[in-house]
Amino acid sequence: MRRIEVKLNLQVVAPLLDLMKETVGDLTGRLAAPQQLQDVDPELRAGWRDELLQGQNDDCRKFLAMFDRDFFAGGVVGFDEANAEGVLRACAAIRLRLRDRELAGVADDALESGSLDITQLTPRLQKAFMCYVFLATLQELIIQHLDAALLEG
Amino acid sequence: MIPPTARSETAPAARPETELALAGLWRVVVLNDPVNLMSYVVLVFRRVFGFDEPTARRHMLEVHEQGRSVVWTGVREKAEAYVFTLQQWHLTAILVPDEAH
Repeated sequence: MRRIEVKLNLQVVAPLLDLMKETVGDLTGRLAAPQQLQDVDPELRAGWRDELLQGQNDDCRKFLAMFDRDFFAGGVVGFDEANAEGVLRACAAIRLRLRDRELAGVADDALESGSLDITQLTPRLQKAFMCYVFLATLQELIIQHLDAALLEG
Repeated sequence: MIPPTARSETAPAARPETELALAGLWRVVVLNDPVNLMSYVVLVFRRVFGFDEPTARRHMLEVHEQGRSVVWTGVREKAEAYVFTLQQWHLTAILVPDEAH
């Protein structure tokens, strides 16, 4: 996969960073997707969960590392083989946590279609929804490039 | 894939009832969630199982429309490894004994 650089709208994305960082912090010690591990050998269960958490932490670190000096200078973030899959998974984890923690009162259909009257939401909910949509957009962008890489073999 | 491998290396003497429970075939089942994007789920299926695009899309639609899809069936250890990988991608995946065998 070639390195891809994307220019984001700094004025739109930068204000979302505090909530995304807060959500990453909230994921410490907690799996984004509740997993049913009852079929897993009890002797393995703790190690299994720890491995998942370790991977989730690593991915979130890669995600936050994108918002570095280059981002604050010009809104540019970059993806390459080293971080693309991790960032993609981190976006999924943060969206799942945002859904549970911030957007639990919003209907699935409204979230899926984006058909929300954002002016009716509190500032906190507005920001959570913007994060949710931004992360989905970022995922779509990465998926397009990963798909192309898959097709190239 | 540490957890599934760890068991075979560290397991004490086999207990017949445990062996019996783990023998046979197991299904890897992915459950629906309202958050992950369809394109994301398709990509994960392609990445993890090597499915072609139509197969991955068919399983994704099954998850979306029926709430679950059996994405793989086989021996316990490999099924565990697949479930673990799917969970790393934040899909809700479970192991279910294959009652047909």
